[in-house]
Amino acid sequence: MGTTGPVDPLAAGRPPGRGLGEPARSAEPRPPGGSLAALTRRAVRAPFTARALRELLFCAIEVPLGLCVLAFPIAVAGLPLTVTLLTRGATPPAQSSPAYPTGAIAILGGALFALLALFFLAPRIARGLGAVHRRLAARLLGERIAGPLPIRRGHGVGGWLSATARDGPGWRAAAYLLAKLPVTVAELYAAFLAAAGLANLTYPFWWPLFRNHPPGVRLQPVAALTPFGALHIATFPGTFAALAAGAAMMLAAPWVARGAAAADLWLMRGLLGPGRLAQRVADLERSRALAVEDSAALLRRLERDLHDGAQIRLATIAMNLGMAREKLGDEADPAVRELVDTAHRGAKDALVDLRNLARGIHPAALDSGLPDALATLAASSAIPVEVTAAVPERPAPAIETIAYFCAAELLANAAKHSHANKVTIEVAERGGTLVLRVSDDGRGGADSARGSGLSGLAQRVRTVDGRLEIASPPGGPTQVTVQLPLRA
Amino acid sequence: MTEPRSLRVVIAEDATLFREGLARLLTDRGHRVVAAVADAGALLAAVAEHDPDVVVADIRMPPTHTDEGLRAAIELRRDHPRTGVLMLSQYIETKYAARLLAGNAAGVGYLLKERVADVAEFADALARVADGGTALDPEVVSQLVRASRHADGLAALTPRERDVLALMAEGRSNAGIATALVVSGGVVEKHVASILIKLGLPPSEADNRRVLAVLRYLGS
Repeated sequence: MGTTGPVDPLAAGRPPGRGLGEPARSAEPRPPGGSLAALTRRAVRAPFTARALRELLFCAIEVPLGLCVLAFPIAVAGLPLTVTLLTRGATPPAQSSPAYPTGAIAILGGALFALLALFFLAPRIARGLGAVHRRLAARLLGERIAGPLPIRRGHGVGGWLSATARDGPGWRAAAYLLAKLPVTVAELYAAFLAAAGLANLTYPFWWPLFRNHPPGVRLQPVAALTPFGALHIATFPGTFAALAAGAAMMLAAPWVARGAAAADLWLMRGLLGPGRLAQRVADLERSRALAVEDSAALLRRLERDLHDGAQIRLATIAMNLGMAREKLGDEADPAVRELVDTAHRGAKDALVDLRNLARGIHPAALDSGLPDALATLAASSAIPVEVTAAVPERPAPAIETIAYFCAAELLANAAKHSHANKVTIEVAERGGTLVLRVSDDGRGGADSARGSGLSGLAQRVRTVDGRLEIASPPGGPTQVTVQLPLRA
Repeated sequence: MTEPRSLRVVIAEDATLFREGLARLLTDRGHRVVAAVADAGALLAAVAEHDPDVVVADIRMPPTHTDEGLRAAIELRRDHPRTGVLMLSQYIETKYAARLLAGNAAGVGYLLKERVADVAEFADALARVADGGTALDPEVVSQLVRASRHADGLAALTPRERDVLALMAEGRSNAGIATALVVSGGVVEKHVASILIKLGLPPSEADNRRVLAVLRYLGS
C-alpha cells in the first residue's frame, strides 16, 4: 500500500487537530484508548452527519458567490477596453495615428468613469451580495446575522450619491467580500476534497467494466486527483490506492469545510452585521424615542386621570356646596352660612388651580392637533398673537407636546421680557421637519445663556434631535426657530 | 327670565357622580330630567326620543374623550334647532366656542363645569339657552376680548362699559346685566346704547342678535 502513504498524514493528522476541543473535554476521565476510539468514530462519522453535509454545501455555494467580487476589477478594466475598441473600430485605419490621443483619452475617461461608477455602486452592490451571504448562512448553517441598518434615504441624485458614498455598512460589506477571498480558497479546497474524494472512491467499481482489455495491451494510466498531486493508476490494484486516497479525502473534507465555514461566519459577523456602534446608536435612538413617547403618554394619562377623577369630584363637591348654600336660606345660623360659603369658595378656587395644573401637564386641546392647541394658547395670551399653522401630516404626540410647550414658554417669555406689542407663531412642515417660529416685535436681547427658560427649552428640544435657534439682537426683534423631527 | 319655567332636560355626562348631582340640582329647581346619558350616541338618541327644551352635555365623553360632545351638539343644533344646547367643559377652548357658535348664537351655551357651583347663575344660563338665548362663559369672553384686533375700539370704552360689553357677550339681557352689576335697568340701557355707538354696531332689540354682533365684532 505504498500509494496510500501521502494520504495517511491527512487522515491521522487532521481530525485530532480539529476535533480535539469537544470530544477531549467529555472523554478526559476515560482511558486514552477509549477517547481515541471515540475520536476515530467521530472522524469516520463526520462526513455523513447532516451538519457536515450542510457545511460542505455551504462551501460549495460560497465559492462562486465569493468569486463574484472578481467581476468588479473585470468591469473596471473591461469598460475602458470596450470603449477603446469601439472608438478604434469607428476610426478608419488611415487616420488611426492622429486619432491615437483620442483613444488614450477615451481609455482614461472610461477607466475614470468605471472607477467612479464602481465607487458609487460598490456599497449598494456589496449590501445586496452581503444579504445573499447572510441568507445562505442562515439557511444552511442556522447562523442568523442581523442585517445592517437600512441605507439613509437621500433627496435627489446628489443625496443618493452622498448616501451611498457614506454608507458605512455598505463599505463594510465590500470589505467582507474582499477579506473573504482567502476563505473562498479554503472553501474551494473543501469542495474539491469532497468532490474529488467521492470520485476517487468509485475507481475500483468501474475499473473492471472498462479496463478488461486483453493482456499485453498498454493503456494510458488514469489520473486520480489528490491534494498532493495526481495518482496515475494503470492497474486494478492501483485503483485501491485511489479508493484509499478518496476515503481519506472524504474524511478530511468535513473538517476543512467546518474550518472554512467558521472563518466565513466570523467575517460575516464582524462585517455584515449592523456594526456594534451603529447597532448601539440605533438601540439608544429607539429606546430614547420610546422614553420620550412614554413620558408624553404618561403626562396625557395623568391629565386624563385628573380630568376624570379629582377635577370632576371637586366640581361635584362645589355643586353640592352651591346647592347647600341655596337651601340654607336667610334664616340659617350665620356661622354655618359662613362655613358653607368658605367651603364653596375654596372648592371653586381649588378647581381653578387644578385646571391650571392640568393644562400645564397636558393641554386638552392638543388632542385635536397642534393648530387648535396653539390657537387656544394664543387666545389666553396677554399680548395679541397671530397663529399660522400648516401641518398636513400630524406629528407624533410627543413631538406635538414639545412643540406646544416650546410655543407656550416662548410666548410667556415674550410677554414677560420683550415688551412686545404683537407675537406671531408660525408652524409648518418642511422636508420632514416641523418648524415652529415664534417672533415678536419687542426689544430683543434674549439669550439662552442667561437663563430665562431658553436653555431648558433647548434641552427639551435636543431630546428628540431637534434644534433651537435664537435671533434676538439688542433692540429687537426676537425670532426663535425650533426644528423638530416629525417622529421622536 | 325671572319667572321659573319647568324645562324638560337631557343630560349627557360620563362621570356618574357629576351627572347625578346635576340631575338633582335641576330637579330641585323644578325642571324635569327626561334622560341622563353617558355618551354622545345615547345623547342623540335621547334627544330624538324626548325632544327636550334643553340639553346639558359634557364636551369630552367616551369613547375618544376629545370632542364627541361638541360634535353631537353641532349635529343637534342642525337637526333640532328648537332644542337649546348648553355645553359644559373643564376647559375653555376658543376653537370649540367658534365651532359651536358658527354664526348662530341662538339657543347655545358654553360654560366651564365649575359654573354649576353657582347654582342660581347656572339656572339662569340654562333658562336663557332653553329660550333661544346665549350663555357664554366669562372665560370665553375675556379670551375673545384679549385676542380681539379691535384694541383701539375697545380702548374707547369706559371701564364700566367694558364690563357691560363682557356681560352682553356672555349673552345676558339688560335685566340680567342690571342684576349682575347691581344697577338699574335704565343705567344699563344707557351704557348699552353708548357701547353700540362707540363700536359702530347696529342697535338690536333681540338679545341673541346683539350677542352675535358683539361676538362678531370681537372675533373679526
